[in-house]
Amino acid sequence: MKVLAPLRNSEEVLALCEAGAHEFYCGLTPSGWEQAFGHASVHRRNPKSAGVPNLDDLYRIVALAGPRPVFATLNAPSYPTGAVPRLVKFGRMLLEEVGVAALIVAEWELLLALCEQGLAPRLHISSLASCRNAGAAAFYRSLGVARVILPRHMTLREIEETAIPGLEWEVFVLNDGCVFEEGICATSHALGTFCLSDRLGGKFSRLDERYEFWKWTQNNCGCQTSRGFTLGPCGLCALPRLGRAGVASLKVVGREAPLARKAASVRLAAVALGLAESGARPEAIRDAVVALRGAPELCRDAHLCYYPDVWRGRGLAGGSSAVPSAPILSTKAAGSESPGPSVSTSAVESRGRALPPSGSASCGSGLC
Amino acid sequence: MEYGLRLVNPFAPPRDPRDACSRPWRELLPEGPAVALYFGSEFCEDRLPDLEEAEAICATASDCGWEPTLLTPLVTTVGLGLVERLLAGLTASRRAPAVVFNDWGVFGLLRERHPSLPRRAGRLMNRSLRDPRAYRDAPSGSAAHDGSRFERLRLFFIDAGVSAVETDVDLDGGFLGTGRDDAGAGLSRALHLPFTFTASGRNCPMKALLYPDGNGFSKALADPCPAPCRTGPVPVQRDDSPLLHWRGGNTLFYETPQQVAQGWLAHADRVVLHEEPAP
Repeated sequence: MKVLAPLRNSEEVLALCEAGAHEFYCGLTPSGWEQAFGHASVHRRNPKSAGVPNLDDLYRIVALAGPRPVFATLNAPSYPTGAVPRLVKFGRMLLEEVGVAALIVAEWELLLALCEQGLAPRLHISSLASCRNAGAAAFYRSLGVARVILPRHMTLREIEETAIPGLEWEVFVLNDGCVFEEGICATSHALGTFCLSDRLGGKFSRLDERYEFWKWTQNNCGCQTSRGFTLGPCGLCALPRLGRAGVASLKVVGREAPLARKAASVRLAAVALGLAESGARPEAIRDAVVALRGAPELCRDAHLCYYPDVWRGRGLAGGSSAVPSAPILSTKAAGSESPGPSVSTSAVESRGRALPPSGSASCGSGLC
Repeated sequence: MEYGLRLVNPFAPPRDPRDACSRPWRELLPEGPAVALYFGSEFCEDRLPDLEEAEAICATASDCGWEPTLLTPLVTTVGLGLVERLLAGLTASRRAPAVVFNDWGVFGLLRERHPSLPRRAGRLMNRSLRDPRAYRDAPSGSAAHDGSRFERLRLFFIDAGVSAVETDVDLDGGFLGTGRDDAGAGLSRALHLPFTFTASGRNCPMKALLYPDGNGFSKALADPCPAPCRTGPVPVQRDDSPLLHWRGGNTLFYETPQQVAQGWLAHADRVVLHEEPAP
């Protein structure tokens, strides 16, 4: 397995190589795009805060990365009229002239257009395409693409069922969760993050606190630890099982993040990968991650787990409420009958509300 | 204009299809016959009907002279098996529903195992933005309805034997294309009204209510759900949107502005009327 790191500019490449990155992904907006298509996104991120600044810098990125492949994101869920032909031309140039190894694509129209151009073997299917089952995987394999990036919200078992032979598989392992599924979220971050202001209320009011807490974890707990690590969703303890499932690439999220955050995340992923490859069990990986990152409370009850089912049947040492091994299918809420987590969600959440914006050195949550 | 109906109680269809929606919508929508009875789910595999319920709905549709139309969502491999068994059961009992697919796995299943069933590309195959906040600045909408968008995708659908494309109202338009030509070639176009989906996912708050503190959400993704959302949608208050919003299980919906919907009617052959915003 390889650690896939996000990039914003060429100055980040060497530091991330040193931190343990094996592959890179980044986004570049073609010149003249804004004049033609306004604020329509090319790669689902703000081109100024998360995009590679210009083509020359992308050339530098590819040169500095050397044998490590660089992938370019053309992964908006949809494009305005006239954009697809332009992106096909742009994508071909990135592949054939700049030396980008593959394009990450989400939109069907662009995908089909690139396949028509014979570029399928250089395409990765974005997580926004929502490939959740072996049948969908077979569809993408039939197109001849190289890799599929699985959506965030899948269990390990579902990944095992979906990861059919004949494709490379990539999964999320660190940072930046989604409240909804990004492939079927029809909102634009350009108008603000829709999900974070979603409130339950009404007959759900008794779930309000839990929902806010869970959303807070998806949003990297709004902070990072004093050691510079992001307190976001994490799938590192699942690496042994992901490896057995045939996963090839481990995605660290956060193109727009400062280099320090990127490097810390890549280093964490590299440490976990080293342990997984040496045969370590999930518990040992978790202990190593906590020792490096801090914030054991959030691991104790699997609050940050991308793949919490890694703990099914294992329990969580030091935790008071492991992930249940069986679903609770009563139509009555069972909250009052069960032990609460060892960290009070209300305490963490109420402190979380006052947290400074992501990227600050410390959040004051007491977890850093 | 023809109508498809997705009803809270599919066993009591109205005489006029427009009776499935509120008065302002009834006044907006043109007269036309109901031709299809929609059932199933586009957003949650736990809301798929069992075989008995599906057969009963197909029978009701048949009694009305309508086409039963099964909505299917994005599915896991387990969900794909559910759809497969459901279709196998229905075809074994000589039911032949049209199937709306929103997942390439379901699409493949239809092509390989049930090629005789009419297949329709669902609204999640159109990933255009529907952000309700966009209507703050453009109250009448901004859709250009340029049919060149998705032209390649529609040709792909035609080659694959898809009979229709469906969508709800998005911000750009163009997904539905220009419809069938005079010779009947091409894709029929269906528009879902009056509710547009905003965002959906597997971390369902209604499902999370069934779990103790610290569980639900990410920790319950694959657990089967008894679907407490069957009790109906719940209004959602938002300060950043001028529209009416609802939570239907795992999915947020809003009521499409009528003046925007009006501009879409000319681009549709069928309106699928939802009695309520349901996943």
